[in-house]
Amino acid sequence: MQTPFSRNIIVTENLGKSVKTSGGTLHILSDISLQVASGESIAIAGESGSGKSTLISLLAGLDTPTIGSINLNGKSLTSMDEDGRAAMRNQLVGFVFQSFQLLQGLTALENVMLPLELRGDKKAKDAAIGLLQRVGLSERLTHTPRQLSGGEQQRVALARAFVSKPAVLFADEPTGNLDSKTGAKIIDLLFELNQENNTTLILVTHDQTLANRCQRIIKLAAGRMV
Amino acid sequence: MKPFGLALRMLWRDSRSGELSILFLALLIAVTSSTAIALFSDRLERTMTDQTAEFLAADMVISSHATIPEPWLEKAAQLNLAQAQTAEFSSVLIEHDELLLAGIKAVSADYPLRGFLKTTTSDYSTETIEHQGPEPGFAWVEKRVLSALKLNIGDPLTVGEKKLVVSKIITYEPDKQGDIYSLSPRVMINKQDLQETGVIQPGSHVHYFFQFSGEQSQLTEFKRWVKPQLNLAQRIMDIHEDRPELGSALNRAKRYLGLSSIVVIIISGVAIAMATRRYTERHLDATAILRCLGCKQSDVLWLFVSQFLILGLMTSALGCGLGWVVQEMLFELLRNLLPQTIANSGVLAVFFGMMTGMTVLIGFALPPLLRLKRVSPARVLRRDLEPLPSSAWLVYGLAFGIVGVLIWRYTEDLNMTATIFCAGLVLLLVLGLLVYLLLILARRSLPFMSLNLRFGLQGLLRNSRATVSQILAFTITLVAMALSFTVRTDLIENWHKQLPEHAANHFALNIFPEQLPSLQKEFKEQGIEGSQFFPVIRGRLTEINGVPVQKIVSKDSQGESATHRELSLTWTENLPEDNKVIIGNWWTPEKKGEVSVEQKLADSLKIRLGDQLLFIVGGQQLTATVSSIRSLQWDTMKPNFYMIFSPGSLESFPGTFLTSFYLPDNKKTVLNQLVKQYPAMTILEVDLILKQFKTILTQLTEAINYLLYFALMAGFTVLFSAIYSTLDNRIYESALLRTFGANRSLLRLTHIIEFTLLGLVSGVLAVVISEGLLYALYSKALTMDYRPTYYLWIALPLIGAFSVGLAGCWGVRHVVNIPPLRVLRDT
Ligand SMILES: Nc1ncnc2c1ncn2[C@@H]1O[C@H](COP(=O)(O)OP(=O)(O)OP(=O)(O)O)[C@@H](O)[C@H]1O
Ligand SMILES: [Mg+2]
Repeated sequence: MQTPFSRNIIVTENLGKSVKTSGGTLHILSDISLQVASGESIAIAGESGSGKSTLISLLAGLDTPTIGSINLNGKSLTSMDEDGRAAMRNQLVGFVFQSFQLLQGLTALENVMLPLELRGDKKAKDAAIGLLQRVGLSERLTHTPRQLSGGEQQRVALARAFVSKPAVLFADEPTGNLDSKTGAKIIDLLFELNQENNTTLILVTHDQTLANRCQRIIKLAAGRMV
Repeated sequence: MKPFGLALRMLWRDSRSGELSILFLALLIAVTSSTAIALFSDRLERTMTDQTAEFLAADMVISSHATIPEPWLEKAAQLNLAQAQTAEFSSVLIEHDELLLAGIKAVSADYPLRGFLKTTTSDYSTETIEHQGPEPGFAWVEKRVLSALKLNIGDPLTVGEKKLVVSKIITYEPDKQGDIYSLSPRVMINKQDLQETGVIQPGSHVHYFFQFSGEQSQLTEFKRWVKPQLNLAQRIMDIHEDRPELGSALNRAKRYLGLSSIVVIIISGVAIAMATRRYTERHLDATAILRCLGCKQSDVLWLFVSQFLILGLMTSALGCGLGWVVQEMLFELLRNLLPQTIANSGVLAVFFGMMTGMTVLIGFALPPLLRLKRVSPARVLRRDLEPLPSSAWLVYGLAFGIVGVLIWRYTEDLNMTATIFCAGLVLLLVLGLLVYLLLILARRSLPFMSLNLRFGLQGLLRNSRATVSQILAFTITLVAMALSFTVRTDLIENWHKQLPEHAANHFALNIFPEQLPSLQKEFKEQGIEGSQFFPVIRGRLTEINGVPVQKIVSKDSQGESATHRELSLTWTENLPEDNKVIIGNWWTPEKKGEVSVEQKLADSLKIRLGDQLLFIVGGQQLTATVSSIRSLQWDTMKPNFYMIFSPGSLESFPGTFLTSFYLPDNKKTVLNQLVKQYPAMTILEVDLILKQFKTILTQLTEAINYLLYFALMAGFTVLFSAIYSTLDNRIYESALLRTFGANRSLLRLTHIIEFTLLGLVSGVLAVVISEGLLYALYSKALTMDYRPTYYLWIALPLIGAFSVGLAGCWGVRHVVNIPPLRVLRDT
């Protein structure tokens, strides 16, 4: 789906998120205004608890902001209902998580096929096999996540993220659960795939070297951009 | 997206990883058992109805004082009903200067449609089973006819103007009926000879019976069609209306079968709900990922619901097949007891099994499943974002609704359904509260406990919501099992009471007052156990409070048939056995002119205490005041009376006496002696009928026993799988404890305490609920006396503690044996 070309694929204005807790209102994010150009790679850095995960869950339409607006690919996420956001996610967005988030009952191949199957894509299997080959797991197609190591699981997750050719990829500390060597390999793969597909990348990390590989770094502290 | 294909694939993937096995098992048991029970009870009922139909010699009979219109017979023929006719009348026979009032019965060629006759040729030689009556020109007679008229087999016998030859002695006639108080010895002839006897003339007192048999549905249609056309003197008889003792035995058995179905369905429903809860919890993450990948809420819901529907359909189909096999096996076990021909299994029952499966699945699985719809996609980032559980209203409301519909379907009694329903609801609410209080109490006393006990209790307290629902689930299962057990025991006991070892199997009627002392002496000398001798005075009820009864009764009511013939009136000082005064008082100081009326007749005629009843007795009028209303047990073979008068009210009217007594087989010859000594006395032998009745009760008892074992088996299986479905969390926590260094014996003891406690509490609650329900059930549904079943008070908590404890510890046994890391990784 190609909409009229817009240079900025993500635009937010005065984004804020607060939740009511027993101790009063907790402001998790405040005043986030940013633009992300199509194809750009951005790192979101900050201390634990600074609101990084919250921010990308808003940007990806997983959650709704309390105030402010988000435009994704020229469409206002904030004025959509949940089903609209689901459709956006399905068409535009890919994810990689710290805890992999693979479906335990499914094989590697089935996990990768899933996004395409949800679209009703007939060639899901071929595309999935292709990507699993690309991430070096062509021998492990029928293995379930339990039978795979952490690094292998994250590679399956990468294949799943790219199989639907998303316009934007969100990655929340993709190496957080891996040792540094494996982590580095995953990151290399991530950037390679990113370049091949010309995907916009929003990467959450508190690893400075990793953040430096991105074109731009956004720093968060206590829910604000600094 | 093409959800259906995807749903199918996801279902397949889930089943491959064992995610569905508990759900599948619970559903399979629900469908298998409800199909098996539906099929079984349907077939058993039809087999029994066939068998009991023998008492009418047909499935349905129209009795009439004249031949019935030709179109009725044509209609019956159209509906493919088999037909036969008999005509009964009294006639005085004279042979060898001896006189005998005989009951003549002319039968058509196809008589009897159900059952058979038994004959013998000489006194005690072997009996032959006959499927037809005598040929034209011949007469079959009861033995008493031969002795009374000094006849032998082969001698001529003239009935009216027709000369016949006595060819056989009748020893058994299936449909010996009519007013037992005026029964005279039987002479059976062929219907073709009837005209030539010349007895049938306008105004002569002939009773016709038009008998029909065939498919139940056709019979019902015929009955519906013919009923509005009946005139006052015509009546439809079928097994439920005319053999109350059998009818009620069958009805109770049927209700028991229904109850078993409900029990099994509830048990499996509980298991399905628990299994679905587990399924839901294990699919929260997957759902979040699906949502993340762009599934809409409705897509998610549709995806899971269609998976359940597919699973339901496939499992139901399998369950129906299995149910059919189980039911065949049950019949095989009962083979020796049942009649040769067993009714075929109805196809409808299979569909019913299918429907039940789907209904139970939807009712119990949908509410927990709906939770998945509300999973937030942000859960992929924050695991603690648990969707709220479905509203309790929905969960319990739907389940209750379905159970209510099922109860209603089986009882077909809205009132009773409402009673059981409300009682159950109140009990559950009270219990839920009670469990909460218990938990609070436990929490308070925690600091004073030993480490083991504390750990075990904490396991239950940590997630008190889940604990409460688990306790309730186990309680419901235990209650269901207890119900089917107790009801069955009491049912069988009740039947035994109804037919005690020495139940009276003979009636002696037409005993003249002057014969009474010598006959009583005779009985004593022969050691015959008998009931009281009741005076019998024939009379007709004509007015109630000055209003003619015909104006009061509604057509077709019991009252209607009672006022159309003479009633047997009696008087007695003491309330007869099995009679119970419901309204008013039994006369203590002897008072003349009072009458006690049987309850159902009183209802039908709207007779109240203090009403003035006018009777015509032997041409004279007699008024009496209603002083009490009685209930009595129609299902025992004892003399029963609609109207009992106070002493002194009836003495001036001419009457005879009647009694019932027990005569064992080896003393049967006493009868001949009695008959000779008291020629006017009529002896009615009901021992054959009683034996038949007994056989049927034995069959029902056995059938019900098997059904109980079946229900208990299903119950335990489901209980175990239900426990299994609650283990995930416990296994995880135990594994964590082990990583912190808890040793095995501590863990094992903790588990034992935790599960045993869970089972124990469930058992205690089950006692309370089942006693409450039993009370409601007995007084409303089964009309039996309720009394507390004390052994359950001990048994249920023990069974609960033991079975839940065992199954639970078995389920978590690995956690103490395998490395904790593997457990943590696997959950
Ligand atoms: N729904 C919520 N309710 C209450 N508090 C919340 C909620 N969501 C987020 N928070 C809080 O907001 C803050 C930011 O959370 P967030 O997960 O975005 O941090 P983070 O920067 O991703 O941290 P980390 O590096 O540890 O993953 C935290 O203090 C968190 O506890
Ligand atoms: Mg985070």
